[in-house]
Amino acid sequence: MTTVLVLALLILPLAVAAACLWLPVSASRTATVATGLISLAAVVLLVPGAAGHATVLWRYLRVDAISVVFLLATAFLYASVAVYSVGYLRDEPGPGFRRYARRFYAGLNLFAWAMLAAPLMSSLALLWIAIEVTTVVSALLVAIENTDGAVEAAWKYVLIASAGLGIALLATVVMYYAGARALGQPYDLTFASLLGVGGHLPATPVRLAFALAVLGFGTKVGLFPVHTWLPDAHAEAPTPVSALLSGSLLAVSFYAILRYYQVALAALGPRFPQGVLLAFGVASLLLAALYLLDQRDVKRLLAYSSVEHMGVLAIAVGFGAPIALFGAFLHVLAHAAAKGNAFMAAGVLVHRYGTKNLASIRGVLDRLPWTGPILLLTMLALFALPPFGIFRSEFLIVAGGLGASRTAASAVLVVLVTVAFLGLAAAANRMLFAAPSDAPGAAAARGEPSAWMVVPLVAGLVVLLVLGVHPPDALSGLLSRAAADLGGMR
Amino acid sequence: MSAALPDPVVQILQVLTIAGAAPGVSGVIARVEARLQGRRGPRVLQPYYDLAKLFRKETLAPAGASWFFLAAPLIAFVCYLTVPLLIPVLTSYGLPLGYMGDILGGGFVLALASFVVAVAALETGSPYAQLGSSRAKTFGAITEPVVLFVVFVVALVTGTDLPYVLAATVRSSLEEIVRPAHLLAAAALFMVILYETGRIPVETHTGTNEFGMIEEARPFEHSGPYFALLKWGSAMKQLILYTIFVNVFVAPWGLASSGRPLDVVLAIAALVGKAAVVGVVVAVIDNSFAKLRLFKITEFVSAAFLLAVIGVFTLYLGGG
Amino acid sequence: MNPPSVFAGGANVIAVLVLLVQFGMFRQALRRDQIRLYAAQSALISVLAVVVAAARGLPELYALAGLSAALKVVAVPLVIRRLLRGSDTEIAGSAAFGLASTVLVAIVVGAFGFFTVGALDIRSPVLPTTALALSMSVILVSFLLMVVRRDVLSQAIGFFSLENGISLASLVVAAGMPLILEVAFLFDLLVAVVVFGMIMRVHHRRAASLSTTELTRLRG
Repeated sequence: MTTVLVLALLILPLAVAAACLWLPVSASRTATVATGLISLAAVVLLVPGAAGHATVLWRYLRVDAISVVFLLATAFLYASVAVYSVGYLRDEPGPGFRRYARRFYAGLNLFAWAMLAAPLMSSLALLWIAIEVTTVVSALLVAIENTDGAVEAAWKYVLIASAGLGIALLATVVMYYAGARALGQPYDLTFASLLGVGGHLPATPVRLAFALAVLGFGTKVGLFPVHTWLPDAHAEAPTPVSALLSGSLLAVSFYAILRYYQVALAALGPRFPQGVLLAFGVASLLLAALYLLDQRDVKRLLAYSSVEHMGVLAIAVGFGAPIALFGAFLHVLAHAAAKGNAFMAAGVLVHRYGTKNLASIRGVLDRLPWTGPILLLTMLALFALPPFGIFRSEFLIVAGGLGASRTAASAVLVVLVTVAFLGLAAAANRMLFAAPSDAPGAAAARGEPSAWMVVPLVAGLVVLLVLGVHPPDALSGLLSRAAADLGGMR
Repeated sequence: MSAALPDPVVQILQVLTIAGAAPGVSGVIARVEARLQGRRGPRVLQPYYDLAKLFRKETLAPAGASWFFLAAPLIAFVCYLTVPLLIPVLTSYGLPLGYMGDILGGGFVLALASFVVAVAALETGSPYAQLGSSRAKTFGAITEPVVLFVVFVVALVTGTDLPYVLAATVRSSLEEIVRPAHLLAAAALFMVILYETGRIPVETHTGTNEFGMIEEARPFEHSGPYFALLKWGSAMKQLILYTIFVNVFVAPWGLASSGRPLDVVLAIAALVGKAAVVGVVVAVIDNSFAKLRLFKITEFVSAAFLLAVIGVFTLYLGGG
Repeated sequence: MNPPSVFAGGANVIAVLVLLVQFGMFRQALRRDQIRLYAAQSALISVLAVVVAAARGLPELYALAGLSAALKVVAVPLVIRRLLRGSDTEIAGSAAFGLASTVLVAIVVGAFGFFTVGALDIRSPVLPTTALALSMSVILVSFLLMVVRRDVLSQAIGFFSLENGISLASLVVAAGMPLILEVAFLFDLLVAVVVFGMIMRVHHRRAASLSTTELTRLRG
């Protein structure tokens, strides 16, 4: 059963991506939606098994609780983005559009495939490769609009992220060296074998590898000070891609850090790895909170909010307490749903108002009968207000931090999240409630651009509510299992 | 086999070899260069005829120049005669006065020679000569660190900074030759030599382009025997530097291991041969590269500096 | 100071040459020369892999050397040249600082990497620690290259040579890595190269230059 599901996840999106290069646009559209939904179903079916035990397939594939959490986030966004794209990419006559749509769908499916593949890898080396594939594919997707801004953002993204991944590759090499000390040569760099010899790994190389991995993969997570590509890429990419970048790519890169964290925890004990993550997390949170206070571009605003939430994740793992880890995994899911929603709603606004400039987007509640309220609720969710999922996850994280007597860091977390809240709230308030002005976007007509773009928004909101009010038992089981695995308690 | 020559005789022979062979090496370079450019070129012995002619000419000094103007060529020439006492020109074993000065000592003596020539050039009041000496001192200041780092490498490798010891170390095993520190130091030294002898890519050796001149501009106002001494001196400086390069760094083979006349004669032949080979290489470089713009010379020197510094680095972890 | 063995000395010389090539990239003015320099650097890495394979009896390194030579010496330069064909603008003068000062900064940066590795005391049975320290210098200097050269080609080459530095490091500390993983790394690099090339080409079409000085629109 697991085998079939994993194979479906690994083969189907890839095949559809290839097919999209040939199929007519309408067929690719249908195929993409179908694949997105099937992938989501497959991942959901993986949940019960993974909550129990890890499964290794053909030595290089592995499904366990931690990976399924990230698969869930990715697959959910894949499905919603696939539906959303139907509305986002409406037919225009002419060969230019057909070429664009073909590339878009092929790239989207390939991107989703790479992100679904990364958590399924059992070896640090293969994990690195999968993440590098996500970089190059998403760089092309960022450039797809072919405007000055898009090309600039794509160049920055591909250069900075690749350089970061270069460091991550170095981390992989150093980790191989550390492992070879305990396991002998050659071996396959799987987490399981590294964790198995945890205490026997030499300390210095593991420390080096972990620091390099946090810096390297952190580039793709968007941790300060290597976050600089992130706002540009998120702002310039087509909206469905932005949603995937923010909700799922950052998380998948964080997943890679978690794997190194596991090994480092086993080899070094908690002090060093948690200290590193706390430092990076607090710095990212601080930077994002400050930048959120003064943003003019709605998508950049959301991008910095992603940096903020990734900082929260890093801090949560840095706390190390089981409750905080549980909260971190919940946060991954809730953030994926909320940020996906926010980007997709922002996409509707950009569509409707024809600008990304916050100053020109006014009176959204008035203009967009569905998207307006949903955006409001999503923003509330992003502010970590109850009853939404992010409230629950951040609450758990802070509780875990206090429980682990990381009082200072917890206090900083709360303060900075509040500052970020101020920035986001001010911007949202202006967008949603301020009276329509004479700005260029003010003439926008009333009404939703497309029902296809509303459906995923509603779904995302439902997920946020469910995660906040009462997560299903199977999911809770999965998250506790993942938290236990990550915390080194087995 | 005859009896060994006494050490002082060999030592004097070192000086005489350098003094005697120097114009010849210059002649070889000029000849090869001409051939590479498709010209017949001057005879190899031409520099000797030039010197002989200059010695027969009268001496003129610019008005207002002091006694130092005429003393400088003599002082410089004596300096160039001193250095061959310190370095392994003919013998692989140290001669009595060979330990009188180390690499730095030799460098100081060479620097003194260059300094007095520069001061003499300043005496003249001629703009070109002054330009040349001010440039020579400017760039000399930035090549100095390179030389220092080369010396550091030598010191770290051998534990001393005596040229004889380094040559012996290089001869001792293949390991000493392939070690990166040695190769890098040799390469850096070679670049310094290109600068010091006024070769492309720093300066056109035979050119008449006054604006690009550094070395060549300095003796502009000298004439007659004094000019001959300066020319001879700079040929000797060139051969001295080549000798250090080959006999200490690159190919310290073919040196006499005893004072027997046959050995010494062979050593003289070997030295001239090796210097000629270096000369040919220099001539080829002269013909394959363009002269750098004056402000780009810092780039050339920074490259040499880079080599020397990396040489020191590699020694640090025991891998050099 | 005792010399390293002939093998270690030779290996170190190759590693030093890799570093020197890296420095050479700071001043290369012509597009094709920059690409050639990268090819030369890759060739040096392959040569080192062959040397290690022969001296240490690691036959799979021969395969790796051959493959990496095929990809990095032949394929990657070819792809880049293809993708940039028709862009006749040159990349001279794209450096942000003068060459001499850049070299001095790079020496400091490289020294930092060099001595850091020295302090970590990571020893490998395959190659001397100096080679690892040199590879760290290569990596840091390649970062500096990406920073100081303001044209897309040099920046991309900076990334590729970063990867070369990592290859060098992996020869030292991970020479026994399973071949399948190494091969996967290489193909991944090829994919990255294609993407870099495509974005460079798009950039060149839009900006009619390879310079990145215009890329200042997105900030904040």
